[in-house]
Amino acid sequence: MELLIKNGAVFDPANGIAGDKTDISIKDGKIVDKVSSGAIVIDAGGRLVMPGGVDAHSHIAGAKVNVGRIMRPEDTRAGIKPRTKITRPYTGYTVPNVYAMGYRYAQMGYTTVFEAAQAIMKARHTHEELEEIPIIDKGALTLFGSNWPTMDYVREKNMDKLAAYVAWGLLASRGFGIKVVNPGGGEMWGFGKNVTGLDDVVPNFEVTPRDIIVSLMKVNEMLGLPHSVHLHCNNLGKPGNYKTTLASMELAKQVKPSKDRQVLHVTHVTFNCWGGTNWGDFESKADEIANYLNNSENVTTDMGQLIFGSATTMTADGPVQYANAKLLHAKWANGDVELEDASGVVPIFYVKQVSIHAIMWAMGLELALLTKDPYKVLLTTDHPNGGPFVNYPEVIALLMSNKKRQEEIKTLHEAVHKRTKIPGIERELGFNDIAIMTRAGSAKVLGLLDTKGHLGVGADADVSIYDIKPDQTDPSAEHAKIKSAFQSAAYTIKGGNVVVKDGQITATPMGRTFWVDASVPDEQKEIMMKDIRMKFKNYYSINLANYMVQDAYLTHPYVVRAGVIPVEVS
Amino acid sequence: MQTVAIKPKNGIKISAEAENISPDKFAGKSEKDIQSLEAWMGNQKTTLGELFTIKAEGTGAVADVKVVMEGDFSRVKRIGEGMTAGLVMIKGNVDMHLGAKMSGGKISVSGNVDSWAGREMKGGELIIEGNAGYYLGAGYRGETCGMRGGKITVLGSALDFLGEHMCGGEIIVKGNAGILAGLSNNGGKIVIEGSTSRPGSEMAKGTIIVGKVDEMMPVFKLEGTEAVDGVSYRKYTGDVIVNGKGVLYVKE
Ligand SMILES: [Zn+2]
Repeated sequence: MELLIKNGAVFDPANGIAGDKTDISIKDGKIVDKVSSGAIVIDAGGRLVMPGGVDAHSHIAGAKVNVGRIMRPEDTRAGIKPRTKITRPYTGYTVPNVYAMGYRYAQMGYTTVFEAAQAIMKARHTHEELEEIPIIDKGALTLFGSNWPTMDYVREKNMDKLAAYVAWGLLASRGFGIKVVNPGGGEMWGFGKNVTGLDDVVPNFEVTPRDIIVSLMKVNEMLGLPHSVHLHCNNLGKPGNYKTTLASMELAKQVKPSKDRQVLHVTHVTFNCWGGTNWGDFESKADEIANYLNNSENVTTDMGQLIFGSATTMTADGPVQYANAKLLHAKWANGDVELEDASGVVPIFYVKQVSIHAIMWAMGLELALLTKDPYKVLLTTDHPNGGPFVNYPEVIALLMSNKKRQEEIKTLHEAVHKRTKIPGIERELGFNDIAIMTRAGSAKVLGLLDTKGHLGVGADADVSIYDIKPDQTDPSAEHAKIKSAFQSAAYTIKGGNVVVKDGQITATPMGRTFWVDASVPDEQKEIMMKDIRMKFKNYYSINLANYMVQDAYLTHPYVVRAGVIPVEVS
Repeated sequence: MQTVAIKPKNGIKISAEAENISPDKFAGKSEKDIQSLEAWMGNQKTTLGELFTIKAEGTGAVADVKVVMEGDFSRVKRIGEGMTAGLVMIKGNVDMHLGAKMSGGKISVSGNVDSWAGREMKGGELIIEGNAGYYLGAGYRGETCGMRGGKITVLGSALDFLGEHMCGGEIIVKGNAGILAGLSNNGGKIVIEGSTSRPGSEMAKGTIIVGKVDEMMPVFKLEGTEAVDGVSYRKYTGDVIVNGKGVLYVKE
């Protein structure tokens, strides 16, 4: 099938196109040079055209998402929409059902979304859900930061074995990259404790968070994985944690990237750029993080923007969730994933008149507006931790309009004036910046810029068209129009199929699941597997044969190849 | 003034959802328009006119609408859901979720009501002359606030979990209540003139006044005796495990 999009105001930052009237030709699911005269024509009529949205960090599938659903039946009834001839029912707001995940992303013009954390042992569940999420392409990052084999090999300084373990772990979980959450903390939470900084020693393993992060970054580059290490820093949720975040970013200098991308992605900075020493003197240090990003080259971040209203916090950071539940007197689910990690789920309601929440609202925006290069700050809400992903259009409007920000600030707790810099920041992002933060940048951070996040020849034919004429719109003044246009795409095209028209789902093809098959020499793998078999024999509650995600779990796989290459360690 | 009279046409055997039976939905509408309002029977979409004989007279604003229902509504759910004003008088029994989320007006029932009556009610009045089922004035599954305002009076008895997660308003039960009345209560006032068992577990705020407690949870602190409206009660505070500031009065 051939498709021609004419008269679009195209923003395709990866190819240097910023609002030019460019035709886009689509054939067999890919962007091509030109199409025949028989192609179906979509007249964009001067409206905004962008590559399909790419989300590099969202919690859309797996054990903790489902725990969120189970513990929040009241959330399920928030977004109910009955089935139609094309769509299955939608439910939920912060923890939607699998169908609503796909539909709602597509309705916003998003076509690729990555689940940000799966434990290997829980990966079958993740894939069972991913296989039911319609339309979008997806993948899942695999947790490695508190796994016993990781810590053993880090202590032994055996990078070959660690590389073999990571490669095998990605295969076992059909994962896309290395996720590290509060390294070492997941293990210590099993004893009711936590690590408090990069140099705390994890008992029984004699390794530090610093060792774990650096070793995994080295191995990530040894294997030439498409994505970098994706880090949820230590001390998340504690005032003063920005220092830990900066120190963690500093570690990226020890490793050279194997590809044209960062070596470390520090995620949901809203939760780890906290100044002060307690809740009384709590303040934003997002400016310090932005300053670091402006003076370094190999670290990227995402916002984790806070959205007022209902959210559900869910993370492998078990201890922080215990602290949250105590602080908020909220429902709390705690999980222990045997030799791998911890986890916790706690609902929260962010309130404009609560000083801490108002300050946190400012943090994500400050980070995005004070960092000069939009490739270094991706637009996320850490769905559903900062708020549900359906609020991305609100975040876009806030970034594009100082007027909107000032209107919002008037409704917030006064602490936003004293404890953040947001009231004085006048910068307003343009469509090109937004296209980077939601498309080109996310694809680059993930290492998928060859086929995702751009509209050049050879890219996947994922395109979104929004009902805004960029040359006739002043986003600063008309921020409400911007928000509503991004909420409901005029067209979303996924793999060459029109899946959304005028904000309504028109087709529900299944997307693919991306995972990385990284090769290591056979003998290296065999040595490592001896240890793994011992771990299963002695400690795991299940057998190795019941642990691996089998091919049957991925009915639409897309395999990215990687493998051992020499790494320069400075 | 607008009067709407409703009677079941045939015996309703499969439960029907009729949240459109509400003064808010009827106000200013003709008899025909009211008959054509949507309802569900099981998984089939139908209309109020298909399920009920409906006679309407006059017209008026919501506050001037009087709905008179007579017959067996024991398989009809969600009557008066979200109503803000007006009057619903029911001669008979009704199914679940009567007056859920209502914020004003008045519903009276001569018979029994099933579970979840007055669920998450915000205001108005609910008078039940018979008995009430489970979760009277409670929050729905997972919700942190049930009833927030208004008043529920039950002349008969109520079953378990009355006023669960209640945050405001008042519930008065003339008879007995089942176990765990006022569970996870966070405000409001519950009066049970008869007996109940294990009231006020996990309560953080609010007041519960009980005639007789079959079994006390060991999470309350006895503060002494106190007279309420001239009657002497043992006064407890708790639930101490959740640092609760709730007050439980038990008749001596
Ligand atoms: Zn996250």
